[in-house]
Order: sequence, then C-alpha cells, then structure tokens
Amino acid sequence: MVQQPTGGPARPARLRGFALSSRLKRRLVADGVARRVVTLGGMIIIGSILSILIVIIGQVYPLFAPPSVEPAVNVTLASGPPLRVGIDEYQTVAYRVGAEGVSFHALKDGAPLPLGGELALGDARVTCVSQGGDDQFALGLSDGRVLPVAVHFDVEHVAGQREVTPQLRVRDPVLVYEHGAAVRLLAYAVTPAGPVMATVTGADRIVLTAVEETTSLMDETTSTTVQYAVPDGISGEITALAMDQRGDDLFVGTAAGAVWRLDLRDKADVQVGGSPVQAASAPGAGISALQFLIGDRTLVVGDSGGGVSTWQMLRAGADARHLVRVNTFAPHAGRIVAIQASRRDKGFLALDDRGVIHLNYGTTGKTLLTLPPVADAAALAYAPKADGILAVGAQGGLQTWALKNRHPEITLKSLFGKIWYEGYDAPAYVWQSTGGSDDFEAKFSLTPLLYGTLKGTLYALLFAVPLALLGALYASQFMHPNLRQRVKPVVEIMAALPSVVLGFIAGLWLAPNMEKIVPGIFLMPFVMAGCILAALVLWRRCPRAVRHWVKPGYEFMLLIPVVLGGGWLAIQLGAGVEHVFLQGDYRHWLLSVLGLTFDQRNSLVVGFAMGFAVVPIIFTIAEDSLSSVPQHLRAASLALGATPWQTAIRVVLPTASPGIFSAVMIGLGRAVGETMIVLMATGNTPVMDLSIFSGFRAMSANIAVELPEAPDGGTLFRVLFVAALLLFMLTFIMNTAAELIRLRLRKRYRYL
Amino acid sequence: MKTFWKNGDAFVWLTGGALAMALLMVTGLVLLILVNGLGFFWPRTMYAFTLKDGRTVVGQITMRETVPQPDAAEGTPERHRIQIRQGNRDLYGMDFLWVDEDAIVSRAAPVELAVIERREWGNFHGRVEALREGAGGRRVEGEEAWLTLQAALPAAHALNAQILDVERNQIGAINAAQERIRLQVKKLARQGVTTGAAVERLESELTELQADYGLKRKLLATLREGSGTVIELSAAGDRRAELALGDVVRAYRPNAMGAGAKARFYASKLWEFVADDPRESNTEGGVFPAIFGTVMMVLIMSVIVTPLGVVAAFYLREYAKQGPMVSAVRIAVNNLAGVPSIVFGVFGVGFFIYVVGGAIDRTFFAEALPTPTFGTGGILWASLTLALLTVPVVIVATEEGLAAIPQGAREASLALGATKFETTWRVVLPAVMPSILTGLILAMARAAGEVAPLMITGVVKLAPTLPLDGQWPFVHLERKFMHLGFHIYDVGFQSPNVDAARPMVFMTAILLLLIVLFLNLAAILIRGKLRKKYAVTAL
Repeated sequence: MVQQPTGGPARPARLRGFALSSRLKRRLVADGVARRVVTLGGMIIIGSILSILIVIIGQVYPLFAPPSVEPAVNVTLASGPPLRVGIDEYQTVAYRVGAEGVSFHALKDGAPLPLGGELALGDARVTCVSQGGDDQFALGLSDGRVLPVAVHFDVEHVAGQREVTPQLRVRDPVLVYEHGAAVRLLAYAVTPAGPVMATVTGADRIVLTAVEETTSLMDETTSTTVQYAVPDGISGEITALAMDQRGDDLFVGTAAGAVWRLDLRDKADVQVGGSPVQAASAPGAGISALQFLIGDRTLVVGDSGGGVSTWQMLRAGADARHLVRVNTFAPHAGRIVAIQASRRDKGFLALDDRGVIHLNYGTTGKTLLTLPPVADAAALAYAPKADGILAVGAQGGLQTWALKNRHPEITLKSLFGKIWYEGYDAPAYVWQSTGGSDDFEAKFSLTPLLYGTLKGTLYALLFAVPLALLGALYASQFMHPNLRQRVKPVVEIMAALPSVVLGFIAGLWLAPNMEKIVPGIFLMPFVMAGCILAALVLWRRCPRAVRHWVKPGYEFMLLIPVVLGGGWLAIQLGAGVEHVFLQGDYRHWLLSVLGLTFDQRNSLVVGFAMGFAVVPIIFTIAEDSLSSVPQHLRAASLALGATPWQTAIRVVLPTASPGIFSAVMIGLGRAVGETMIVLMATGNTPVMDLSIFSGFRAMSANIAVELPEAPDGGTLFRVLFVAALLLFMLTFIMNTAAELIRLRLRKRYRYL
Repeated sequence: MKTFWKNGDAFVWLTGGALAMALLMVTGLVLLILVNGLGFFWPRTMYAFTLKDGRTVVGQITMRETVPQPDAAEGTPERHRIQIRQGNRDLYGMDFLWVDEDAIVSRAAPVELAVIERREWGNFHGRVEALREGAGGRRVEGEEAWLTLQAALPAAHALNAQILDVERNQIGAINAAQERIRLQVKKLARQGVTTGAAVERLESELTELQADYGLKRKLLATLREGSGTVIELSAAGDRRAELALGDVVRAYRPNAMGAGAKARFYASKLWEFVADDPRESNTEGGVFPAIFGTVMMVLIMSVIVTPLGVVAAFYLREYAKQGPMVSAVRIAVNNLAGVPSIVFGVFGVGFFIYVVGGAIDRTFFAEALPTPTFGTGGILWASLTLALLTVPVVIVATEEGLAAIPQGAREASLALGATKFETTWRVVLPAVMPSILTGLILAMARAAGEVAPLMITGVVKLAPTLPLDGQWPFVHLERKFMHLGFHIYDVGFQSPNVDAARPMVFMTAILLLLIVLFLNLAAILIRGKLRKKYAVTAL
C-alpha cells in the first residue's frame, strides 16, 4: 500500500527557472499552511478533549460558590418600631405591622400604599404579632382581642409591566381576654379544623383559643370560639411561643432558657409533653425567639445569649416524643430578636439586637452568610423566593438586600457526610432525590452511591482478577503458541461484548437462575480445583501412549470438559449441602443464622456479569506483559534446573509485575465506570452494606437514571455532575498512576 | 505426593482451568443468546391440553422445570410443570400459564389449531370458525373460511400499507408544513409584523393545508373501514371472538406446516424483525427504526471522529515537538479511553445540549421557544458525544500506525525534495490508511455497543419519525432516535410484559452482537494483515 511518491522535482527547483520557482513557492506555502492547520487543529482537538474536565467543573462550581448579598433598597419609613415585616415575591412591595396597625410601602421610595382592606382597631393598639405562617398571621391587641389577617399580593401584567397590588384581608376578631388585658405573646395556626391561637398576657398563663367552624345543612358556616384549659405546669417567665401549622404542638420558651412542649393533639386534654429541654446556649440566657422551618418539623431556637440552634421531635416509642438538638449555629454577639424561615428551603435568617443578620441553613448546620450590621434593626423578612432579605429598623429605616444563594443545601458535608434529616432518628447518609410532597427535602449524599460503586468494583475484581491473571499466566507460559493465537482473539471478542447485552443477560437470565444454585456457586471454585487436580492424577496414571496423544501445550483442551464437569458437580453438591446443612433453603438459613436478606439481583450477579467485562481487559494487558518478558530470562532459569512453574512464578511474574499492576488498575477503572451492567443487574437501592446478597446503587447507574429527569442548572443536575466528576477523577487518576508506575518499573527492569 | 506439588504441574493445570473457565464463559454466553433468540421465530407445535379440572388450554410449551418440593420425603419422584403460552391476552388477561404435568389428562395437536398474529393484543390461539364479508357479502365456514382468509390477507396488507402511507407520509407532510407556517407567523410577530401581505399569504396557505388535511382524514376514514371482512374465532374455554381482517398480521397453522413451510415462515418472521416497525410497545414486530438509528448514529459519529482523530494523531506524531509535554498529552489521551462512558454522556448533556444546543435555539429557532429544537437530546448530540468518546481509539490506532512506518520512507521522500506536507500526504497517509481504518472500525464497534451515554443524550424508546425521511430538509439531526442497545434495556426492563418480550430481547441482542462482533473481527483481521506487512517492511 505504500505509494512511492510519483513525479515531483528530481533536482532543486531553482535551477529550472522562474516558472518553477513560483511552483516551489506554491508548494512551500501549501506546506506552511498544512503545518499550521495540523498544529492548530491538533491542539484544538486535544484541548477540547481535555476540556471535558473544565466543562464538568464549570457545572459543579456553582454548587460550592459562596452566597452573596448586595444592598438593594434603602429608604426610611415615617413610622415607629415594627413588630413584623414582609415582602412580595417580586420585591416591590413591603408590609409592616406596627403598634398602630398594618401599612404597605412601595419599596422604590417607601411611599405608603392603600391597604385594600379595613383594619378597624378602634382605640386598641397592636401589642404583638404571631410569627411564621407565611403571610397569614394574627395581631394581638391591647384590648384582649386577637385579629387574624392575611396579606395578599395581586400580580397583574399590564402592557408588559408587572403591577403588584397589596391587599389586606381581615377576618373576624376573636376576643380572648374579656377583661381587656393586652396580649403579650401570640402563636397562631390555621389548622384543618380551623384557626387556633395561644396567647399570653402579663400574668404568664397560656390561654388556648380555637375557632371551630361548623357548616350547617344550609351551607352556612357558623364559627364558635372555644377556650381550652392549659395545665399550669410551666415554670419561669414565658418569653416566646411557636405553634406548628398542623396544630399538634405548642412550644413555649422561658426566661430560664427552657423550651416546654404542650401537646395539643387532644385539645380537650392538653398535656405538658415530657420534661422541658434546656435549649439556651449559656446558663442564664433566656429563650428569645422560636420559629419553625418550612414544613413545621424543625424548630429554631434563639436565645438572649446569642445562641441559635435547631431541634426536632424524635419519636421514642409509640407515643413518647421529645425534642432533640440537631444543629448549633455560629453564635451571635447579642440577643436574638427575630428568626425568619425561608419558604423555599430549609434556610432561615436570624437577627440579633445589634443589627447583625446571619443566614443559616437548617439541614447542614452551616452559617452561610453574615450581613453587615444594620443600626436598630427590629424586624426582618426573607423574600418568598429566598432571593432577598428585608430588615426594618425601630426608627423606620428600611434596607433590602438581593441574595444569590442558589444551592444552599449543598456543602461538602451534605454530599459526603452524615446529615440529620427531618423524620430520621439519627444522622445518616441518604440519597433521595425526588419525593412525593411539595415540602419534600431532597437528600443528596453521594456516600451511598460511592459505596455502591466501590462495592460493585470489589466483587467484580474478586471474581475477575484471579481468573484473568491465572488465565494470562497459563496462556503466556504454558500454552502452545498456535493455540494461543486462537485463544487471544476469543478473549478480545469478549472485551467487545456490549455491556447492555451483559447487563440484560445478568438481570433477566442469570439472576433468576443463579438464585436456584447459590450454594453450588460458592462450592464451585473448590470443586473445580479438586476436579482439575483429580484429572491431573488420572492423567499421570494414563499409559504413555495415551499421553503422547496430546502435544505439550495442548493439555488445555483436556481441561475444558473437566471444568464443565466440575461446574455440574458443584451445582449437584450445592443442592446436597443446602439440603443437609442449610435447612433445605439457603435463603431462610441466611436470614435466620446470618441475618442477611437475599435480593435476586445482588452483588454476586453483578460481580459475575461485570467479570465478563473486566476479565478480557486484565487478561489482554497481563498476557502482553508476561509474553514480553525476555526469553533469555526463562531460558536461564530453566537451564539452572527450575521447573516451568518455578520459572513462571519466580522469574517471569516479578519481571512482568508492572504490566500486571497496570492491568489490574485499568480493569478497576473499567469496573468503576461500568453503567449498564450495574443498572440492569442490581435493584438500584442506595443501601450501604457489604453483603454479597444485597444490591446497591452505583454512581454511574444513578447518573444514567436521574440525569434525564434533572432540570438544567438545578441542584440535582449539578450534584449529578459532581458524581460524574468523581468518576472522572477516580478513573483518570487511577489510569494515569497505573501508566506512570508501569513506565517507572519498566525502566528498572529494562536492563534485564 | 510431595513431587506432585513440587514439580508445579498441579498449579499449571489450575491456571489452565482458569483460562478454560473464562473461555467457557464467553462461549456459554454467546450460545445462551443464540439458543434463546434463534428458536423464537420457529413455529412451535400447538397443543390442546385437557386438565384434570376439566379445563382445556391451547398453546405452545415455552418452558419446563422441576417443581421444588422442600418438604417431600426422600425418594419422591420429581414432578415437573410446564409454561404454556396461551395467547389471547384480551380474553384471559395473561399470556402465560404454568401447569403441573400431573394435572394434564391428555394432550393433542389438532391440525386446525391456528395462530393469528394481530396488530393489537398479541397472538390469538384457537380455531377459525367462519369468515364474513362486509356489506351483504357471503359468509363461509370451516375449512373454506381458512382458505378465504389466506387468500384475502395480501389485499388486507396492501390496504394497511396504504393507510400507513397516508398517515405517516401524506398527513405527516401536511403537519410539518403547518408547523413551519406557524413558526414563520410567530417569527414575523416577533419582528413586530402581525398584518400585511406576508402574514396573509401564510394564513391563506394554512387554510389550504387545513382543507387538504380534512380530505386526507376523510380518505383515511374510508380506508380504515376497509373491506369490512370479519373473522369469527373460537378459543379454548368456549370463548368466541371476532376480528376485523385489517387487524390480522399473519394467520398460520403450525401443526399443519411441514419443515419447508416452517422454514419459509421463519424467514418471513426474520425479515419482519429487521425490516418492520415495532408493535405492542416494542414487544412485537420488528426493530427497523432501532437498526436505522444505530447505523445512522454510528455513521455520523464516524464522519466526525475520523478527521478529528487523524489530525490529532498527525499533530502528535508528525508535527509536534516530541518532549515531556507531548508524552503527557499522549498519556492523557490514552487514559481518556478509560474514562467511563457515562462521564462523556454527562459532558454531552452539560455542554452540547444545554450550552451549544441552547445557543443554537436562541439564535436560529427563537420562534419555537420554549420548545427546544437543538436544546434537547438528539441524534447529532449523541453522535458528537460518542465521537468524543471514541476519538482516543482513533488517535491511538493512527499513532501506532504512524510509529510503525519506517523512518526511512519519510527520509527518502524528503531527500527527493518533497516538502513535509507532500511527504505526509503522499507517503505517510497512504501507508497509515489501514491503521486509520482499524481505529475507525474499533471506534464504530465501541459506539454501536455503547448505551449509557446515549440514554441521556437523545435515545428514546419509541421515536415516531426517523431522523432521515421525505420531509424537507430530509436529514433531521435534532430528532431523537431509537437504538438497538437501548431497545434491549427498555424492552427487557421497562416493558410491562417481560415474559412475552424476552425472546425479542434475545433476538435484538443477537443483532447487536452480530454488528459489534463483525466490526471487531474486521478490525482484528485488518490489524493482523497490517502487522504481517510491516514485519516484512521492517526487514
């Protein structure tokens, strides 16, 4: 095929005159252009291949980018100290609750906006406001009434312009204290059965009032106000109240630093639930703020010493529940004045009396951001889309910040460490990316997936490495070269089997059939070895004439029926062993004696199927390096009287060890990244146990399953890129290390 | 005994056993797939079983196994049960039935038992009682009905082909034209043009198309009515059923067929498998769209990967200054071949689909947004991803070839006054061609068998249209496509009726194996020839 260059100048072109010199010029130009094109093209291609890493890191980086805030609006409202503030989702209108009532303000200039509803306070003043509950809350008045209100933002698009019109909806007031005492503390929840409120007036006694709505046959709703008795067991001055929106529990914080729980599930018989927990950060500090995170399962406690911590209800037994501390956050320098939870995620803001705001994330226990202090800040709000912060000072100073905090739930700890999620008994590694309900919290621990990947790799290598290395040793040292030439392509074909075919066979054929003969499979290596040795003994006894029948180096052909027979014998023996020693059913035996559950698609199946993918790789590379050991080394060893086996083990194997090492490493890399086999041959449950009889969920399979469902730029999308990055690094580093070690060791053995 | 261990033969035999095991595993796997797949299309005997409880079951035996009897006393004879494919999913609810052999009173194989392949609900097993021609036609019974049915089938198939043509090509063309006009109107509206001649022209075109569409629908309705011929059927358990002639794909009597007829039937089923569209959520019919998608994807990938790999290899070996930098790059490229394929898929999603595809959509297909055109998985992105995945293979193979060309050949050319480019083009490139071909074939084999990266970059279980068809611009690189490997995964693991689908999966696996093995063998052969040639040249 090598074409001889035809034509072309036979002597220097310049001798041929002007016409040829222009031709030479053309040729030189073509040469230069080609050089540049190939160089540039080559560099671009190689660069773009290597840019895979950069692109993946580019997608991962935003996960770990620190959140940032920028001051947005700073106006002054002409009003007194705020009790509660809020903001609409587009951050154009804020509301503020003060002693004189509710007011709306346009954020661009602080100008008051019409209420859109009637707030008839009469002579009364607002003395307290309930916390939480989005934009539905209640005002506690100085005349003993409680006034439930709701703030609503109407959004209209007029001629491409967005207009937000605030509206105040006022419900019927509820008279709690007939003698007209001012409400000092108030907790309010709209439960499915109707609004419930807990109030405290000066006398430190909790009054529980429920508005019970009954619908008559005529579709008329009548509401009756019922007051329930609350046991008087709480000691210390009550300083904070919080009630979850289901109306299950009322949490009471006291000046002594304790948090008490009142069980409201049976309102006719309200009980103090268990003993109080000491929640304050320091002795002497009192509870100053209580707030729920979204979903109302986690309670945030702020105290007068500046401590902030989150707590969860832990179920201990059938009916006993108690509060447990989950996370403690970076302390503030002053008393915690207000806590506001995000409506998007498990984040919350905490404000202290020096005007410093911390942005914390409940699940990870991390303080994401500390805002510069705002003088005399008294109330704050977290924008509904969790992209802004509003703080209002006692003198009416209003400050907002634009917040960029796209992946607050991701930290290195939440990706790889144990996290205490809501509803769990203890911190755990959990991968659960999608859930049924709206307030479901996605759990992104990569540890179970990494564990699954490594587990699958381990079992695959346990099966593949001995098989491939022993096979390579035989093929290179003891096999007849003619036979070897036939065997090697077969093994190369094995490497080309598409993994989807292997996975399909493993999942649909191997798993159900293997399940029937598990004891036999565990006996198989021993039985086969026994059969081979027995065959050897028999072979030795054979008359010489028969032995001459098989050429040296072709003994291998004898072994094929022996191995087949060994496999059959092992399965038969396995059934016997199961019958005699394993109570007739090994699955039952595993469960009762070893406490292991048996999945049909388990690591044994995966190890075997992945072995198919890994064996040929290890075999080919190891065989190559064993064959390339210089012949004179073998000859010298044999000449000194060593047997072929001694030569192979003591001389050939050590010399070829770099190649064998790199073979195993490359096999490892293939097993780590194998996708279709693990996807199809395991149950894909992200569990963490090492049992060979259970399945796992590997990173690669997880990416294949979840990436099509993950929205572009979302947290799941980026976490899957983290998994891809991990796979990339694992294999790339492993392969590079294998290559470097191989080169180095090869240098050492070069002079042999 | 001591010498037995000492001379090491025992260990040698053990290592040999390991190799034997590995080879048995490969051959066993291939045999398993062949045995399970190839027998599927062979017509099996239809039995009518009478059971002890008086029931009759009609079907083909698909499996036989021993019944586990864990509590039985020693010496109890083994009991067996058989799996019967009874068909008639619409009548009985399930395709398969396990029956203990003890419970069978008698089995017979009457000649008149027929298998009728239907377009829906899978196979019908039973007898053809009568055939009724529509609109005042005659009604024939018994054997004559069977003969009439056989005679009428070709016409029914032609009618079906016509319906398919109207549905897919004619109405499809109208739909595509309507969509194009709709997008043009939208584009004009984005430019601020909502009235005027251009818009009116488009709208009148749209009305015309609408009228055309109505006509086609009417035609389709008349075609669908067909001849109105109905077959009356009876099945085991005194069930009666009627079936329109248009719903029959095939009707045959396996018990009446001789070996020759069975072989012809086998060939026709095989042809259907490779040339037809899938039916019944991919569990029946053929895999033609998957074959087409696989081949087209591999071809697009080859067109991309060859120049890329060759240029990179020439740069590395012929043009770049050899040094630690180039060897580092070489190691990196080598190792890239070991990076998991799913990582390339992730790159394809993150870069090709969202970055490049998103940019193309915003620039050229803004009027179609938010429906993505190129900003979602498609055959182009899948091919590009696989090109990236396989480019190290081509680079490595080409580099090997370049290294094997004796330096003397280059020097001779240069000494004769050729420039470096001329040497490369006229001497080196022809010599390295076989290596490039080997690399390309290996890359194609790898691409054909790869599934994981495709799952996230554009493969679907059922694509309504091929990426190449009669609609302008004929090649639709943005379309999603079907793929043999994904077909295996999807039918084998996502299908509602895995038992019925399993043989199909085995057949698809055979097809995929054939493609991959053929490509690999070709590469091995070419490489072998190459080695021999250079072994001579080097002397």
